[in-house]
Amino acid sequence: MGQYVIRRVGYCLLSLFLLSLTIFFFVRVTGDPAALLVEPGASADDIAAIHHQFGLDRPLWVQYGLFMWSLVRGDLGQSFYYQTPVFDLYMSRLPNSLMLAAVAMIFSLLVGIPSGILASVRVGRFWDSAGKMFALLGLSLPSFWVGLVLILLFSVYLKWLPSSGAGTPLHLIMPAFALGWYFAAAHMRLTRSSMLEVLGSEYIKLARLKGLPEALVIAKHAFKNALIPVITLAGINLVIMVNVAVVVETVFAWPGIGRLLYEGITFRDFPVVQGVVLLGGAMIVVVNLIVDILYAVIDPRIRLER
Amino acid sequence: MVNVRGSAASIRGDNTHLTRRDLLGVAALGLTAGAPIVASAAGPSGQLTWGIHVSMAPTWFDPAETQGIITPFMVLYALHDAMVKPMPGNAAGAPCLAESWSVGKDDKSYEFVIRKDAKFHNDDPVTSDDVKFSFERYKGAAHDLIKNKVEAIETPDPQHVVFKLKEAWPDFLTFYSSASGAGWIVPKKYVEKVGDDGFKQAPVGAGPYKFVSFTPGVELVLEAFDGYWRKPPSVKRLVMKVLPDEATRLAALKRGEIDIAYSIRGELADELVKTPGLTLKPVVLQAPNWIYFPEQWDPKSPWHDLRVRQAANLAIDREGMSKALFLGYCKTTNNAVVPYTFEYYWQPPDAVYDPEKAKKLMADAGFANGFDAGLLYCDSSYANMAEVVVDNFAQIGSRAKLEPIERAGFFAGYSNKKYAKGIIQAASGAFGNAATRMASFVVKDGAFAYGNYPDIDELFPAQEYELDSDKRTAALAKMQRLVHEKAIYAPIWQLGFLNGIGPRVSESAFGTIPGFAYTAPFEDLTLTSA
Repeated sequence: MGQYVIRRVGYCLLSLFLLSLTIFFFVRVTGDPAALLVEPGASADDIAAIHHQFGLDRPLWVQYGLFMWSLVRGDLGQSFYYQTPVFDLYMSRLPNSLMLAAVAMIFSLLVGIPSGILASVRVGRFWDSAGKMFALLGLSLPSFWVGLVLILLFSVYLKWLPSSGAGTPLHLIMPAFALGWYFAAAHMRLTRSSMLEVLGSEYIKLARLKGLPEALVIAKHAFKNALIPVITLAGINLVIMVNVAVVVETVFAWPGIGRLLYEGITFRDFPVVQGVVLLGGAMIVVVNLIVDILYAVIDPRIRLER
Repeated sequence: MVNVRGSAASIRGDNTHLTRRDLLGVAALGLTAGAPIVASAAGPSGQLTWGIHVSMAPTWFDPAETQGIITPFMVLYALHDAMVKPMPGNAAGAPCLAESWSVGKDDKSYEFVIRKDAKFHNDDPVTSDDVKFSFERYKGAAHDLIKNKVEAIETPDPQHVVFKLKEAWPDFLTFYSSASGAGWIVPKKYVEKVGDDGFKQAPVGAGPYKFVSFTPGVELVLEAFDGYWRKPPSVKRLVMKVLPDEATRLAALKRGEIDIAYSIRGELADELVKTPGLTLKPVVLQAPNWIYFPEQWDPKSPWHDLRVRQAANLAIDREGMSKALFLGYCKTTNNAVVPYTFEYYWQPPDAVYDPEKAKKLMADAGFANGFDAGLLYCDSSYANMAEVVVDNFAQIGSRAKLEPIERAGFFAGYSNKKYAKGIIQAASGAFGNAATRMASFVVKDGAFAYGNYPDIDELFPAQEYELDSDKRTAALAKMQRLVHEKAIYAPIWQLGFLNGIGPRVSESAFGTIPGFAYTAPFEDLTLTSA
């Protein structure tokens, strides 16, 4: 078990290293941040001064080395645009993103799982069609459009909810719905297909032959097993919700990490983009690591096979 | 802002026996909007909330890092004050922290007298040491240019400061008052105590509003400064919220969550006009938009033919485009690069929209069947305008393909001369005067000039140090006329910047400073309930 965990941790560190390398070089493809920090047509000297100030005048491998050295010491660097440590910026936005993601996730699970179950036990009938329509709309309607329609309806016409910003539970409702709908649709689809697979299995047939009530078969025998992939996906989705709710956070002016990433990209703020992507990646890697270890604990064959 | 070589701005009228010193003296007597106004006894109250279209940066809180673009001034006008700055009724520069100034007989020195009642938010008085310190630490737009012209700064006493120039330079005040941030004053003792970074985190200025808090990407909160020399502000608290999405800003304005929304365009502006209680506040910016033909110096290019460029000018439906995109609030001046509010502006003949005549000119030039005009490069923020231009050009046979580029990338490419093949749609909101615009966009080695004409170039050096206002005006008028006659550019218009205000706002101060995009001066803002 110990060796298995060490191996998995090693893979995680390798993944993060590759991610750091990728994001470091890709973010530099977007252009020169100095162009955004000086006036159009600024002199070469002014641009060179900006490059020097941010260490952009050094060879790329030196920049990467310094970046990694800082990272090892827990320093994500200083934002070019906000001139604040990236970690502080990230932490100031994290509570908002966690709150939004949590509510959106609860909504997506409360809607996605029951509707997926309903669709699976009513295959080809009204609820199945309605569920598929719900999923189709959720997955295909762009979230910025959903967001604007929500603002128009609930904020402008009905005047029930604030249009944007954060601060009260009412501020959470629309962005959580706009963000959660997409994931609710994804969870519904997965629940439905997972349930259909389980409902067709031998042990479910046996349960039915034994004369167990259908509700018990679905709730106790099918649902529990069908839920495993849904929960696994939900865990990953939660991390995605926290880190890349870019469009929803921008439309609703929600001060979260997604918007921070958007601002970082807009201003070519390399340290912000690198920091957000790396911390987001680290979250996904850690979640995966925990899942892998839990699998190994539950099923010893996994660690033996690997 | 652009990097300019300097020039312009003597206002001496020799023919009328008025010297520039006389005129400046009159201005300094307070016969301008910058003069102190008696404050109301009630004191500041209430709150105004903005929906800002861009994310504010801490560099905007420090005048030393002023970029020569107009955006940071939306904050500078609240937090800080300048010796001389554009104010209502005086776009060239009204006396502010400097109550007066005089120019030396040799035109090589400027002596400013600082107001006795001018003080910073920490109650320290504004002194000549602060003025000198602010100038010396300035590292923003055009810092090299203005610093290279100044030989020494003398501070004989706390109320007087003398700038000694290396040589007479008629544009000194243009740059000191608006085309740079060198004239915006910070408290020396405080900056030395907290350092540059500390200053950006907790700025102390001499403006009408004090810094309260800043949450990056979220909001800036300011509070009225009772000790502001001009008058205490009427509104107690200002909150500038970052709302990047235009539709969200309008929704927030409709709900009364914000009182002022910057930049509401097109159909959303139309919706704003139709909403009871909301008011559209259009401002004509000092930002001309234009089409530039960088291939005109290539004899093989169709754009080399004057008639083709004139045809392009005739093909643009400016009024139709303005109505469709900006509710008709753009101002068509037909001067390509110089805003009408600038010193030494020359007014060209009216723009004409005549596609039939344009087609005839194209046929005369040998392009009756049109030609492939290549790419039309533009800042993607204004691709909607470029789409119309591409369509207008297509109607006379000049077939261009739109190439929108993200803003910073576009301006970097433009100034690095990467768009030598094709057409360019661009704009500039930089402060300055006609000479600074000629320097950047027309004459040889201009930051954005892809080619040059010797007859225009030879006019430039002569006016650069010309202290006779009439002669300088004539030279710059001739340069602008030649730009027009040679159709170096196809002017579009000066952009109409559309904003909205809610029912709680009595005085928004939009448009009171000619060409300025935002609400200022902040001390003039009032609430209806107040």
